[in-house]
Amino acid sequence: MSTLAVARRDFLNVRRAKLVWAPVALYSLFMVLFFYGQSSNTDPDFHMVLFSLLGIGSVLVIPLIALVAAYLSVAGERESGTIKFTLGVPVDRAAVVTGKLLARSIVVVAGVLVSFVVGTIAAKVFVPGMAIAYGDYLRFIAITVLYATAYVAIAVGISAATSARSRAIAGSIAFFFVFNIGWFSLPISPMEVFEFVLEQLGRDPENYQHFIELIWSLSPTGAYLNTMDFYLPARIASQQAPVSTASDPFYIQPWFMLVILAAWVVVPLALGIRRFQKAQLG
Amino acid sequence: MVAIQTDGLTKRFGSGEAGVLALNDLDLTVEEGEVFGFLGPNGAGKSTTINILLNFIDPTAGSAEVLGHDVQTESKQVRQRTGVLPEGAEVFERLTPREHIAWVEDAKGIDADTDAILDTVGIADAADRKAGGFSKGMQQRLGLGMALAGDPDLLILDEPSSGLDPTGMKEMRQLIREQAASGTTVFFSSHILSEVEAVCDRVAILSGGELAIQDTIENLRDQNEGVCTIDVEVDSVPDSLGLDGVAGVQDVGVADDELIVTCESPSVKVDVVRAIDERTTVTDIVSEDTSLETLFERYTGESVEAAGEQTDDSTEAAEAEVVA
Repeated sequence: MSTLAVARRDFLNVRRAKLVWAPVALYSLFMVLFFYGQSSNTDPDFHMVLFSLLGIGSVLVIPLIALVAAYLSVAGERESGTIKFTLGVPVDRAAVVTGKLLARSIVVVAGVLVSFVVGTIAAKVFVPGMAIAYGDYLRFIAITVLYATAYVAIAVGISAATSARSRAIAGSIAFFFVFNIGWFSLPISPMEVFEFVLEQLGRDPENYQHFIELIWSLSPTGAYLNTMDFYLPARIASQQAPVSTASDPFYIQPWFMLVILAAWVVVPLALGIRRFQKAQLG
Repeated sequence: MVAIQTDGLTKRFGSGEAGVLALNDLDLTVEEGEVFGFLGPNGAGKSTTINILLNFIDPTAGSAEVLGHDVQTESKQVRQRTGVLPEGAEVFERLTPREHIAWVEDAKGIDADTDAILDTVGIADAADRKAGGFSKGMQQRLGLGMALAGDPDLLILDEPSSGLDPTGMKEMRQLIREQAASGTTVFFSSHILSEVEAVCDRVAILSGGELAIQDTIENLRDQNEGVCTIDVEVDSVPDSLGLDGVAGVQDVGVADDELIVTCESPSVKVDVVRAIDERTTVTDIVSEDTSLETLFERYTGESVEAAGEQTDDSTEAAEAEVVA
């Protein structure tokens, strides 16, 4: 009940922050661009648009929307002192964090959905002849919403664990670099580290490909990218990664990617609540 | 019934050499229905105490109860029945005053007469304006409005007059009196003696994290009867003042070329001047009236003006004394 009270007030507060809507506009812009891009195609391909959206959304825009909307959720209140008005009434600290997650998620999900509406209108205007696969579209939107919520939970968790605006920014940027850029692009990615350890132990990494695949998917971005079997045909998906087969272990099956994303909602939130409950708000 | 009870409350920030003992073994009792002034210079531990009462920080040792509830294990019950005005806190910049009150209603599960509250605290005409542009005084009024919503049994106000102009301070005192008259217990902190003196039944004076005294204003006055200070300006301060032998001298302070002597009774003053005159040349004598301020200074080792100057708004502190 107090979670809802916190969420109601926070929603009212954050939806009036103009900065929150800037990355949403960026996402909408990419949608329009990608759909417009198909208009010059003699055989417009809806799934190629989804694929492009998955790429730009996973590594940049969705994390940006979520982090901007939520990184100050708790730390900002601690810095300004409004936290004392928030906790001067009978709400417990866990309710503050969950209420913030609820409010910021609603804002972010609303922003993402607005972008999809804009994108769909752009599709109808620019490429009226293109067939939209609505089933795949809805699955992609649903999973994108889950990915966005995971990043909101991460940002709220970091925000709840930090005492000041500057630390919340630093924490959010650090997370983004480690779990996004660092995870896939740096020569010392966790997968390489794992292979290195295996080699040191005299094992052949070739025998551990499933594990390496799992490590890749343990970052929220990796998990999101590996959900493409749900909404992209094999002709596109197979260019990126080997399409999973039923004989693969469960932890690299597409459904397990949803479990990983759900864990990225629950775990950062739980850690953030624990830290915030012990915080000294002097 | 007891509204607030602390028992050996201690708070240490940091540890070891660098640690600061913000609160040392505080035993405080606030009875239900009284107006209790929590007095002391800035940094004496007033806000630390209030932060513990509201479970914002944990005590290092000791315990506290508010309205019969343990502040750590039953904090929600405490905050359900308490209205809180935190010290110098900002309000929600993108919400209107009406929405601020709605937040308290929502969180406490109560219905408040929002218009009446905003009228009481004097911001009714700004009820639907976002609070981002509010002055410190208006924010303070809004914070007080949030504290009043739902007619709580206890009001905890931390430096309620900070940011208010003299008129605002006067209104604040009036409001505290009205709340007390309707049976609400009011616990408020201040570094301004005159403000506390004007409305409180009882006061506690805190100094350096320790309780210097806790008593009724009347008793303090009685106790203080006769005690007075005399400032003697001299050419040069002698090595030995020779005041040890003067009967009735309670305390001697030296500031530059000024000797501040606290005397048991006014008749001691002349002996003091005589004793000093034997050692050095007296250039001026200022004899002060007996007042609670003397007492405040004695207990906190700090003058009221000095305590005021520590804040950003020392002029307001000075003005407050003029108004009172």
